Amino acid sequence: MDFSIDAKLRDRLEVERAWGRERVRPAGLEADRQGSPLAQDHPYFQDFVARGEGRTRWHGPGSKGEVPPPGVVVRALLVSEELAYWDRGVIVASPGPGLPEPNVLALGTEEQKERFLGPFVALDRPRWACFAMTEPSAGSDAAAICTTARKDGDHWILNGAKCFIGNASRADWILVQATLDPSKGRDAQRSFFVEKGTPGLGGFKIEKKMGLKAYESTSFSLVDCRVPASNLLGGEARYERRAGFKTAMRTFNAGRPVIAANAVGIGRAALDEALAFARNADRLGDPRIRDRIEALARRLRMARLCCLRAGWLADHGKPNIVEASMSKALGATVAEEATSLGMELLGAVGARGDHLIEKLYRDAKAMDIVEGTGQIQRVIMARQLVKLPRS
Amino acid sequence: MIDLDPGDDLELLRQTARSFALEELVPRLRDAEADRAVSASVRAAFAQIGLAGLELPESLGGAELGPLARAFVNEELGAGDAGAALALDPLGPALYPLLELGGEPALVEYGLPLLEEEGARAVLVCDDDASLEVVGDRLSGWVPWVPADRPDLVVVLTRDGALVLREGFESEVLRGAGLRAAGASALRFDAVPVAAQWRDTAAAARARGRARLYAASLLLGVLRHGAEFSRDYAQQRVAFGRPIAHHQGLAFLITDMHMAVEGARLLIHEAAWRAESAHPFEDAAASAWVETVSASVLVGPACVQILGGHGFMQDYPMEKAMREARALGLWLGGADAAREDAGRALCAGPPPVALSAGGIL
Repeated sequence: MDFSIDAKLRDRLEVERAWGRERVRPAGLEADRQGSPLAQDHPYFQDFVARGEGRTRWHGPGSKGEVPPPGVVVRALLVSEELAYWDRGVIVASPGPGLPEPNVLALGTEEQKERFLGPFVALDRPRWACFAMTEPSAGSDAAAICTTARKDGDHWILNGAKCFIGNASRADWILVQATLDPSKGRDAQRSFFVEKGTPGLGGFKIEKKMGLKAYESTSFSLVDCRVPASNLLGGEARYERRAGFKTAMRTFNAGRPVIAANAVGIGRAALDEALAFARNADRLGDPRIRDRIEALARRLRMARLCCLRAGWLADHGKPNIVEASMSKALGATVAEEATSLGMELLGAVGARGDHLIEKLYRDAKAMDIVEGTGQIQRVIMARQLVKLPRS
Repeated sequence: MIDLDPGDDLELLRQTARSFALEELVPRLRDAEADRAVSASVRAAFAQIGLAGLELPESLGGAELGPLARAFVNEELGAGDAGAALALDPLGPALYPLLELGGEPALVEYGLPLLEEEGARAVLVCDDDASLEVVGDRLSGWVPWVPADRPDLVVVLTRDGALVLREGFESEVLRGAGLRAAGASALRFDAVPVAAQWRDTAAAARARGRARLYAASLLLGVLRHGAEFSRDYAQQRVAFGRPIAHHQGLAFLITDMHMAVEGARLLIHEAAWRAESAHPFEDAAASAWVETVSASVLVGPACVQILGGHGFMQDYPMEKAMREARALGLWLGGADAAREDAGRALCAGPPPVALSAGGIL
């Protein structure tokens, strides 16, 4: 058993800490003040790309992506936590092949990898891709999506509406989840590449949010949107093996610990700010304050360990369904507790609306919503722990 | 780099302790409670599997294993019968002040004689708020509860040191709220002679940290058993046409209990790993203890609640789990002292708060 991190990761975290302090947090505060996402041509994105970020792990025909170093998930979780400490919204806004990349690497045809990941090999400019699952009437219950796909010759025709999709309006392509028959549930679901500018893809509306303003959460519609048959992720043959819905849920399963790590990062930031404020206000002599700060630090540590456990299991190819959901449920809750305590310590200062803790308080709420609410995480865990039926 | 695999040795130890608990402790837990002791056959079985000298130095015939091994073993024994686990460990956490402050000579002088006398027990008293009075080489005061009938040795751990009492104290045997297999008594000290005394604040803090991990891992076992037993029951018991575990109110309670147990275990293991790796661990141990006690406040009553009326009856072990969990959480100064220790340490330095020590998580 070992709870230490190696020198390489320690160094990486130091680098990210400096980048976070100097670039990420200022960009996040700027977006929060202006009340809208960072523009596509924002210098932050240019510098992000110049830093070597935003590239794909795919390296050309025959490549399945870089061979992940040992412990890649655990490393990624800790880096993600550190960056979210500085601003989780800016992290989500950052260019790159993003959420759909693992699915494309794992399931895409060679032609699809070249066509859709190729532009992310050597970036000529900031580029985005995104994954569209959520719909107005299907959030955590991803099996209930209504966007339809109908085969028409050598094309697919998509109809439906998606919402709260990160970076959708600026994405080169969107991996859209749709169903061949809504009455058939998960088995009828498929993923389609829909490229920017495709006729029928439109109605982009960037939502006004309570927090995490640096990235766009966008609604859009698909109206008789025709995409080539070759845009079906993995090709027709793959779906004859009934892997449609599981393809999408694979992304979610890997995503929950990342969200949890982000939540821990936000919680840590709130704890540090709260502690600094309490010290300056000479309130740390009060045992009631100390007790509550101790409770938060303890629960943040526990939430981090839960994330790392979920990540460690993933690194070792072991099932992590319960652990991933547990980390998500716990991390999000603790982040809310941390930011709420921070607000309480600020007192009336928190109500002014210009303190970082107030921003973190708004930001943290989303962590208990995205990728399945805390209640949904308990449903997922209960299915494993007590065989809770799906219906 | 992070590796949560316990490895073959710890896994073997865990399986050994688990088998012993299931085969020897669980079938006799009501007998042990009624007898306020474990039977000779159980003692013999325990001696046979070699867990008795788990943390004793090799030079004194022990296995000299560390805090992680103790955490793994205590969880399993606690899941079987926490009171019996205490009864089977003559020194219990009193070992730590002897080792950390007095070293091997103290262990030879005060500890080893207890190992040779069947049923002999030492108890640890954490006098965190200095309520006991030492005048010269005499100690006076009162301790309302220790989990032993008429202990043979009392080790008092203070903020700045430890002292040993061998004789002259009065024990008043109590019914005990829980852990009755270990016994229960109140101790009265009326100018009792101090047999040995050491002063070393850092060593006292280490001893306190290890004692908290000892108690936390035992309590964790109680909680795990309560959570798993009640979960199994909830999948069998049918109400309103389906297993009660499939009513969402209970399903969510069961997941919360699972999370509480798993989270506490991670904190205990991390703190134990720190202790074993010679990193600062005292604050992490305090936090792990507080979190485990907090978990017990949820899990203890909830495991009775899930069984409903059956939970309240002694035909099932859940009422025992609830009592034992609450009693264990009051041991060694309880959670409040630990919370204060961790809180003070946390607030002593400037942000950023290190959820980890330098170079480690």
